[in-house]
Amino acid sequence: MSKLIFSLIFFFWISNASLARNTGETEIITEDGIEVFQEEKYYLLKKNVKINSDDFDLTGQLVKIYFDNGLDDLQEIIANDNVVFNSPKYNIKGKGNKVIFNVKNQNVLISGKASKLHMENLEMVSNSEIKLDNTNGSFLIVGENSKLITENVKINGSKIQGDFEIVDGKRVISILKVEDKEKLIINTDEIEMFAKKALFDNKKSIIELFENVKIVKENESIAGDYGILDTKKNSYKVSSQNSKKVRALIGSNE
Amino acid sequence: MNFFLSINKKIFLLFLISIFLFTILFFFTIYLSSNSMVSKERIINYKGEADITKPKFSINSKKQKISVTANEGDFVSDNEIILKKNVVFKSNKFKIYSDNVTFNKKKSVAFSNDKSKFISDNMMIEARGFDIIDSGNIIYFKGKTKLIIR
Repeated sequence: MSKLIFSLIFFFWISNASLARNTGETEIITEDGIEVFQEEKYYLLKKNVKINSDDFDLTGQLVKIYFDNGLDDLQEIIANDNVVFNSPKYNIKGKGNKVIFNVKNQNVLISGKASKLHMENLEMVSNSEIKLDNTNGSFLIVGENSKLITENVKINGSKIQGDFEIVDGKRVISILKVEDKEKLIINTDEIEMFAKKALFDNKKSIIELFENVKIVKENESIAGDYGILDTKKNSYKVSSQNSKKVRALIGSNE
Repeated sequence: MNFFLSINKKIFLLFLISIFLFTILFFFTIYLSSNSMVSKERIINYKGEADITKPKFSINSKKQKISVTANEGDFVSDNEIILKKNVVFKSNKFKIYSDNVTFNKKKSVAFSNDKSKFISDNMMIEARGFDIIDSGNIIYFKGKTKLIIR
């Protein structure tokens, strides 16, 4: 009896192994078929689409894949409806209503409500659009209440754009520009900053704040037209074109 | 006197021979009639198997030519034919294999609801049927479909 059970288990294991994707292969499974448009050079994949490869995995409901020189030469994936993807090779994963994914350079555009992109130790959130350009090493997050979250900093704004550089094999933000028509917010462990525009330069370790600036640290609050913060020293200065305009509020914990 | 001794031996012998011959004739008739039924059946079956064997067609467009072959074909109408057994659509880019495909010569379209396999350079598609439309420019693989790129 035990031999029979063992044989059955072995048989099913062998069957499953033979169906599994081999290394180097890209496997695409759909519930409702694939249309191949030869002249237009794309596939249209319908319902519960699953793409598995060595470099990335992607799921979606309606997926268009463009090919170039041959039917196997995949270029770009345009996925719609609850799209989730993961690229361990490029250390990025994300989800959104629509994802445009370039297979060759791994550039990503995510759009729709509650779009998310994880990259190294960064998290990008938007209700409109997140764009990651791996070729140029840049990213853009647009839409109201967009967020960029790192281990120590949380940034809210309607437009967050930045460049990153590779340090020790990891992406590190080198330049950052944040804008908001109303009020952007930058939260660190100790300081909270408000303004309409902010610039960050990693080499200089400086954050510059423009228009309706307010810096809050513990019980201290300073407002003005312009602010500058040294991220290494954790010191800051707020100024105004009209010197009378600078306001400082100092409270106590008691 | 014994009854059998009173019968004319020649007449008795003739009687036995005639019975023997009659029996042989009876079975021979049955054999012939059964053989004739089989041959009729064979003719009917032969006609029912396929209208044509080894049919060959082609789908031509500006950019490609797809040749269509099968082991058997049955005409549904002047232009529509059901291709059966080892149906192959072959172009310079791909091959599609199936066992039961309806092909329209005039419209240059084809469809199948049987398990089908598409093979091209470094890739393969398995589906529960397909539609070829627009002179082969668009191929729709139906149902649960699996595509493998090597």
